[in-house]
Amino acid sequence: MALIELQGINKTYDNGQPLHVLKGVNLSIESGEFVSIMGASGSGKSTLLNILGILDNYDTGTYHLDGRLIKDLTEKQAADYRNRMIGFVFQSFNLISFKTAVENVELPLYYQGVPRKKRHELAMEYLEKMGLTPWADHFPNEMSGGQKQRVAIARALITRPRIILADEPTGALDSKTSVEVMGLLKQLNHEDGITIIVVTHEGGVANETDKIIHIKDGVIGNIEENTRHEAWGGSVIK
Amino acid sequence: MKWFDTDTFREILDSLVRNRSRSLLTGFGVFWGVFMLMLLVGGGQGLKGLLYRNFEGFAQNTGIAFTDQTSKPYKGFKKGRAWNMNYEDVDRLKNLVPELETVSPTVSFWGRSIAREENSFSDAVVKGVRPDYARIETPKLRYGRYLNDSDNANERKVCVLGKKVYTNLFPEGGDPCGQRIRIDGSYYSVVGVDWNENSISVNGSADEAVTIPLNLARKAYNQGNIVHLICFTAREGIAISDITPKVRGVINRAHYVDPSDEQALFIMNTQLIFGIVDNLFRGINFLVWLIGLGTLLAGVIGVSNIMMVSVRERTTEIGIRRAIGATPWQILGQILSESIVLTLVAGMLGIVFSVLILAGVEMAMTEDGILKAAFQVPFSTAVVAALLLAVLGVAAGAMPASRALQIKPVDAMRDE
Repeated sequence: MALIELQGINKTYDNGQPLHVLKGVNLSIESGEFVSIMGASGSGKSTLLNILGILDNYDTGTYHLDGRLIKDLTEKQAADYRNRMIGFVFQSFNLISFKTAVENVELPLYYQGVPRKKRHELAMEYLEKMGLTPWADHFPNEMSGGQKQRVAIARALITRPRIILADEPTGALDSKTSVEVMGLLKQLNHEDGITIIVVTHEGGVANETDKIIHIKDGVIGNIEENTRHEAWGGSVIK
Repeated sequence: MKWFDTDTFREILDSLVRNRSRSLLTGFGVFWGVFMLMLLVGGGQGLKGLLYRNFEGFAQNTGIAFTDQTSKPYKGFKKGRAWNMNYEDVDRLKNLVPELETVSPTVSFWGRSIAREENSFSDAVVKGVRPDYARIETPKLRYGRYLNDSDNANERKVCVLGKKVYTNLFPEGGDPCGQRIRIDGSYYSVVGVDWNENSISVNGSADEAVTIPLNLARKAYNQGNIVHLICFTAREGIAISDITPKVRGVINRAHYVDPSDEQALFIMNTQLIFGIVDNLFRGINFLVWLIGLGTLLAGVIGVSNIMMVSVRERTTEIGIRRAIGATPWQILGQILSESIVLTLVAGMLGIVFSVLILAGVEMAMTEDGILKAAFQVPFSTAVVAALLLAVLGVAAGAMPASRALQIKPVDAMRDE
């Protein structure tokens, strides 16, 4: 079985007026893949990402993550899966503003109950990987967007997750930094074999990935293999 | 999760310290509440102490009887007759009113001048008392002893000085016992100094008094069989007001005075006075706690409110924490703990500050190394206040924490 296996996922939001967002999504992503989910806003890509990240529930269908059915989990189980299986990278970085870079990276380990000293060491290690050692004791508002996103990636990586879910990871970055960040994700995929799923509406970003999954109106459209990275006219972002 | 470990505590402390202005504003409400409560309680208690000093040494169940002109005609006598009690009345009371414990007759002479060498004091009250008068008004001896039975029986020329008399006659201080002073032309040996300062002036203020043996006073001042005051205490559990009519009846009848003539024999009842003061302070205490607790409650509601606002403000933070693996209970625990820590720290500071200020007040109220009245709150009150704070901390945190529980990790990303 694939690492991620979605079968007939349906999701309806009911805010006064029912809104059918996902209409029977079937999707499977193998371990070690580097994929992007592309779609216009309102296509249901964020909802899909939330379901993949166990941040949201689905109504019908099945979602197997690493062979386990993800359904009707208790909050505690969901929190545990998120903590150990999945790393999140957000568009707006979502670092905690009153914590330094290294403390932000440590945080997932805090919830795993890792002792302070050990998690500090590990966090420093990952910051070094990201080339951010000199910035370890800086607060988020003292860093550039690219640096913040790299801190966020370090935070996503520190629990050694199987999957990284990146929601518009370059959305708030300039093109030069976007290239750097995508390069970093690519490197993680190649060297550490982490499955990476990037949600984006930018062709240039999607082009960096090996597989592009198009989503439109709540259903999966065509899936492009993108081994030569020329689907959108070469590796040009923006 | 353990209920306490240093890691959790550091996490809580970090988020309180790094959001300094929010924590300060929140804590101040509680700090002020506790501070005011403790200050009011201490102040009220001190005030009470100061007032009670006026009655210090006086037995609380004392009656003091003295005569005036009669106000009713009786057995052929017209009203407006002057009369005096005598020593037989003391025996009559002892024999006929078994509810009485001590019956002590006194005589007193006002505006006497006392002298020693070049020092003098011109407005003293010379009191002739029996040693058992100590049971009515307990002497607070700074030096020497009180009068004893032998002094009385042998009519020794000895005296006990009041505080003011002592300080005027012995400005250099020191133990005056054995020294001789002159009262109205006769010499007396000082045997003790009474440090009482109460201002129950039925028999003159204690600090302006010179106390000499009753039998001596009777002769020295030519009083014969006349008694000025009869002081008495009731036995345990008996109210003075219940036996006053009986006492009045016994004495009045023996002197052909209407037994119901309250003007002819006035009986002062200290129990009544103490009762009034007690009631007054019960009222003040009630107000103190009402205002204090009200202020404290306002502070706690403030904490709750600010935590509520802060939870809303922290939606993103809480969402992030949830997204990277915090369980709802960990979030709940964090918000609750933050609230408890904040309330406790602010509250303790309030207690400490009020204790410091009350200690300062006490220092200002201390004279000759003797404290006039205790302003300091008792330790038990502080402990109760601290416990109360812990409970209030939980209560203040409960609402915001339950609000925080409802934050879904998705909200973190929506909040862009």
